Amino acid sequence: MNLTSSKKMLWASGAMLGGIAALLAYFGNPKNMAICVACFIRDTAGAMKFHQAEAVQYFRPEIVGFVAGAFLIALITKEYRSSAGSSPMIRFLLGVLMMIGSLVFLGCPLRMVIRMAAGDLNAYIALIGFVLGVATGSLALKKGFSLGRAYETKKSGGWVLPVILVGLLLLSVTTTLMASSESGPGSMRAPILLSLAGGLLFGAIAQKSRACFAGSVRDILLLKNFDLISVIGGFFVVMLIYNIATGGFHFSFSGQPVAHAQHIWNLLGMYVVGFAAVLAGGCPLRQLVLAGQGSSDSAITFLGMFVGAAVCHNFGLAAAAANAETNAPGGPAAAGKAAVLLCIVILLAIGFGIRKREDRQ
Amino acid sequence: MRKKEMKLVITFHTTADAMAMEKRCKTEKMEGRLIPVPRILSAGCGMAWACPPLDSEQLTRWMQERHLRYESIQECLV
Repeated sequence: MNLTSSKKMLWASGAMLGGIAALLAYFGNPKNMAICVACFIRDTAGAMKFHQAEAVQYFRPEIVGFVAGAFLIALITKEYRSSAGSSPMIRFLLGVLMMIGSLVFLGCPLRMVIRMAAGDLNAYIALIGFVLGVATGSLALKKGFSLGRAYETKKSGGWVLPVILVGLLLLSVTTTLMASSESGPGSMRAPILLSLAGGLLFGAIAQKSRACFAGSVRDILLLKNFDLISVIGGFFVVMLIYNIATGGFHFSFSGQPVAHAQHIWNLLGMYVVGFAAVLAGGCPLRQLVLAGQGSSDSAITFLGMFVGAAVCHNFGLAAAAANAETNAPGGPAAAGKAAVLLCIVILLAIGFGIRKREDRQ
Repeated sequence: MRKKEMKLVITFHTTADAMAMEKRCKTEKMEGRLIPVPRILSAGCGMAWACPPLDSEQLTRWMQERHLRYESIQECLV
């Protein structure tokens, strides 16, 4: 089945992704998190004790599924290509920045769309920031930004991340080495086999459809091409139907689960994510898929996101969710706000400081 | 829906190379446009240059003279 043969197929593949996210939310994953890449990398980093935030520690099988699903489908369809060598440390840094932006907003672009489909108006504010971030990244591309080309490497290079993740998943289910939340979002989980199957299928469909939240906006801005946004459209529609059907749709700024209404920081957090994603060549989901199909550069970006998640919780950069019971407004603390501003400065330096001329030298 | 046509599609190692191609072609009024890389050519999500079918050797020479780097040149329906 060719998922990119027509706009209808792209919409259908987005709808399938939405169906998987809805299924996992229905069977226990946090309702308006469902299958958030940033949140689940953060939970996994917590499970491996890279941070000590007790409410968000669980080795998420979905993360393993995304990478392994993309890996398997790429092998089967002969699209697997092991490559590396495109400014790995800058990509690592971009991964860290993407995670800081995500955890200040409280979600990656995937969760932003899930929250939009649940009526969370804060996510619409974040969308403005995300589009502005992608636009700034696209401008950097127009001005000649490049991280340099990747080169083909030994085939085994691309196997490392999927194999390690599968090994860690086996450890998480057969030993007590990993931490596991007893309350909070980390304690909300679908049955493990369903999570793994959902992740595998999600990764495979995302690989075939090239689903990318940053890429879809970039393609509209630079190429006037609406193919990739069709995938996101299908995903949004299914999540909207799911939320309305299950009573999870609330059109408001306040009272949203695991969210805050600090507009400027929601906007700037996702600005950072959109900007960094364009420079890195894909949103957090796309990075996992590219890592699965053999890109060691994207695997490095994944490691950056993983370390970034730990940094966010260890150094108090992640935003707190609003709490209706205690009237706490939530949002990032001073350290988180400073980190977002610093991220923007670093992104401007990377985006407009690294030019094609340097690549040619 | 727009009917697909046979085009010459040039892929690049980096987005910056694709952008450089677009800039040069616009300057020299060469027909063509940037498109997402067709799925049949790559599993990546980069950009490619699509133009009417030409003599690919002539195009290669034209690109080399202008120091425009590319990955591959292939005909395909887009």
